[in-house]
Amino acid sequence: MKKIEAVIKPFKLDDVKEALSEIGIYGMTVTEVNGYGRQKGHKEIYRGAEYVVDFVPKIKLEIVVSDERAEETVETVRNAANSGKIGDGKIFVLPVEQVIRVRTGETGTEAL
Amino acid sequence: MDTTNTDILIQTRDDLITDFLRGNESGFLEKYTRILDEYFFTVFEKSISARKMTIAGSPFAVIALGGYGRKEQCIHSDIDLLILFEKTVPPEVEAFVQELLYPLWDARFEVGYAVRNIDECLDMAFERFDILTTVLDARFICGASLIYTGFMEKFRFELAGKHLKDTLNYLYKHGEKRHFDFGDSTYLIAPDIKSGFGGLRDYHTLLWYAKIKSDIKTRRDLEYYGFLSNFEYLSLEKSLADIWRIRNFLHYISKRKCDTLHFEYQTELAGLLGYWKTKRQPDVELFLGDLHTRMDFLKQINQITFEDILSSVRVKKGTMDSRPTKTDGLVIRKRRLHFANTVAILQKPDLLLKIFLESGQRKIPLSIEARRVVSEFLHLVDEDIKKNPACIKIFKKILSLSYWEFNVVNVMLATGILGKFIPEFSHLVNKIQYNHYHLFPVDKHSIRCLQIVNSFKEKNEGRTNSIYHAVFKEVRNKNVLFFAALLHDIGKSDPAKEHSKRGAKIARPILSRFGFNPTEIEDATFLIENHLSLVKTATRRDIFDEETAVYMANKVGKIRLLRMLYLLTVADSKATGPKAWNDWTENLLKDLFLKTMGILKRGELASRKARNLIDRKKADVLRLLKESWREDETNTVLDSMPRRYLVHIPALNIVDHINLYRNLGDREFIWQISKENESDIRTVSICGKDRPGIYSKIAGIFFLNDLDIVASQAYSLGEDHILDIFKVKPPRDKIFEREKWGKAEKDLINAILDDHFLDRALDKIPRTIQVSSGKTPEPNTIKIDNETSSFFTIIEVFTYDFKGLLFSITNALYRSRTNVNVAMVATKVDQVVDIFYVRSIDSDGKIETEPELEQIKHAILNSLPKITAKEMNNEEN
Repeated sequence: MKKIEAVIKPFKLDDVKEALSEIGIYGMTVTEVNGYGRQKGHKEIYRGAEYVVDFVPKIKLEIVVSDERAEETVETVRNAANSGKIGDGKIFVLPVEQVIRVRTGETGTEAL
Repeated sequence: MDTTNTDILIQTRDDLITDFLRGNESGFLEKYTRILDEYFFTVFEKSISARKMTIAGSPFAVIALGGYGRKEQCIHSDIDLLILFEKTVPPEVEAFVQELLYPLWDARFEVGYAVRNIDECLDMAFERFDILTTVLDARFICGASLIYTGFMEKFRFELAGKHLKDTLNYLYKHGEKRHFDFGDSTYLIAPDIKSGFGGLRDYHTLLWYAKIKSDIKTRRDLEYYGFLSNFEYLSLEKSLADIWRIRNFLHYISKRKCDTLHFEYQTELAGLLGYWKTKRQPDVELFLGDLHTRMDFLKQINQITFEDILSSVRVKKGTMDSRPTKTDGLVIRKRRLHFANTVAILQKPDLLLKIFLESGQRKIPLSIEARRVVSEFLHLVDEDIKKNPACIKIFKKILSLSYWEFNVVNVMLATGILGKFIPEFSHLVNKIQYNHYHLFPVDKHSIRCLQIVNSFKEKNEGRTNSIYHAVFKEVRNKNVLFFAALLHDIGKSDPAKEHSKRGAKIARPILSRFGFNPTEIEDATFLIENHLSLVKTATRRDIFDEETAVYMANKVGKIRLLRMLYLLTVADSKATGPKAWNDWTENLLKDLFLKTMGILKRGELASRKARNLIDRKKADVLRLLKESWREDETNTVLDSMPRRYLVHIPALNIVDHINLYRNLGDREFIWQISKENESDIRTVSICGKDRPGIYSKIAGIFFLNDLDIVASQAYSLGEDHILDIFKVKPPRDKIFEREKWGKAEKDLINAILDDHFLDRALDKIPRTIQVSSGKTPEPNTIKIDNETSSFFTIIEVFTYDFKGLLFSITNALYRSRTNVNVAMVATKVDQVVDIFYVRSIDSDGKIETEPELEQIKHAILNSLPKITAKEMNNEEN
């Protein structure tokens, strides 16, 4: 199994969710996060006072899928989150050792 | 095996619970207490170890503490016991505890116990507040009653003699801390019905206070000893009965001592408590609404208790008498506002409103009595009062006095006077939105929103608050903002409808009743109708795209509206709950606000003139393209065009460009060369894919082919295309013009493919230029403006015209890794002012750091030839 972590632009969330549900992926964890990569924070000026926006607001998605579905999921996220600009985000793919559903104790892909 | 005492206890308890679930709910707490008492009594009676200790001269008392002591035992409440000896604690007590408690522990009762002598107990009680309060609730169960009475006497004696003030202070501080820790629990997603604000602890605090002050024995005494009026006592009984009932069911379904009304339990509880929307669907909203009403009452009780404690601890003697206020007919007694006499209200019914103004201004609460009087005299608030300009003025003033710590508008709501002035508001009362997002019922949320707007008056809330304070100071008509805050969700009375639009419609007549003028009404209804649009835009569109801010600026249209909309949005989000308000949302909103403000202030893209101009042009374009393109297709392209472009380019040219864009297909670029009237100038319109440095490359191939650039503009089209317009002088050799253009086109393809194709053109740029104006020539100057736009670094270049000028500058920009998004290039005689709106290629944003800006400045300066005056040159020769 793989865990796919994607950091994307907030306004792309709906697109990504929709695209994922089209390929049959409904479960995910969504977190509002702040950070920066090449798209850095910036300054705004209001009546002479500087307001620094240190971090760029982003959305982080976490999805765990079976190995076979990983590539398709990554592609789907990538296509849906892409606006061709800097700051579109990143996708990380991590191996997952085990998944256990708390209620039933099912393990592995059964528990996904 | 014989039936043990524990078996009997469990059996009777289970019967009691079954009975309770069948609907026989009254007196459960006392009945359960009695069952426990009986158990302890029986075990004690039969206990050999107890008898031994008594015979050996160590009699003791078994005492119930805490909730058990108050006879308020819920299904899974703790059972707190004190085994009290007069002096020494004999070791045999161990055996008794085993007899008494082990079976209970085995049967999974939560029993806590302490074995102490009287002196230990007294020391600990005055050392630790949590022990002191349990002692206040102590109740004798069995054993040597004299030990109990002896202990209580000593306790009362010491309490009254040495510790009264400390204890009261402690009670006060402890309450403050509890509210700080738990917050306003009534409206948390999972309210804590015991420890939260409005929870049972608020009643306990009153009870403890009364016990400390007057040694009362039971709840009933609260009225007899004058701590509560009869009316208040009855309301308290009702509230407690309901909350205890909920608590019992909560214990029952969670199978443990659980006092937090977790979200997951709420539906089931609503059903168990008999709230049904339909036969199958429990009415959670109604259940929570009722619960909030009860908890609200406990909150009021708490406020009174605290006020009482404060006055008994801090207020000096003599203040018991009435003091007059500056409002005739209102007096202050024991730090509460009272009506001097009720007859005066009949003559001056505006006192019913003035008392709230006085209360808000002096931060002195209404007495419970005064609250009741307001409720009972509401019928005096007739049309004359409501339309009276002086009363309206008072009402508006009160709205500006509503703070979190001192919530006068909430009291107006509770007494019914708010509903009298704004009957529409009554539909919001206890309207719960049952989800994870909204914490407060709509009425409380609206008032909270108003409070938060008021809090922007203060500058103190740390760094982020300073912007709200700064913006708030600039809001001229604050009453508009206050009313918008109070009424922003007024449309939620009907959950089926889109509440913003509906709200604006409902608010209109309210605002006009309050004497607002048409402009103010327009402003307020605009705010109500659009109170979600900033948040929606910030979270659903790319705020790093200038078009988003331009869109917002056009929607809002006026600076004063944007200011108010921003503050309303922030207050609304904050008042909703932590899901709606956090750093993340705060940053997004602030950013969008500042960017939109930037666009509005400059006016170029969002003034009414600009709007009209664009609308006109769009209509023209649609008309001109009617024959050849479908309207929606044209609209799509028009929508992808930047406003700056639409403002500056004539409709006829826009039509040309749209056609170009449609014909582009898969090609890198296409261009159209047109002759302007009879002049000797060619206009080259180029539509192509957005590649880094494309603008510089176009300028470069024109230079390479001796095509002199006179003026140029650059725009981006949608996400990934560009539209550049160049005005150039045609080749000198007119016969082969077509071939020349053909070659230029090939060169551009090469330049796009090969980033260094144009390097050889760089060598042809002059190193010096001579200026023959007669005056000393101005040196080359670069001005960088990083403030005007939120989206671009604006670079202005002042120099003298020379061949290859535009290529030279834009190449320097490109090599400094910036992208030219907008360019305005024009030559006046030989002096040139070129303006470039650039963004960093790497970060797709403004160039933020000083070193980078310096580097760009130098790169451009180095790309320009040295300026010399002709005369000086002559001399040198």
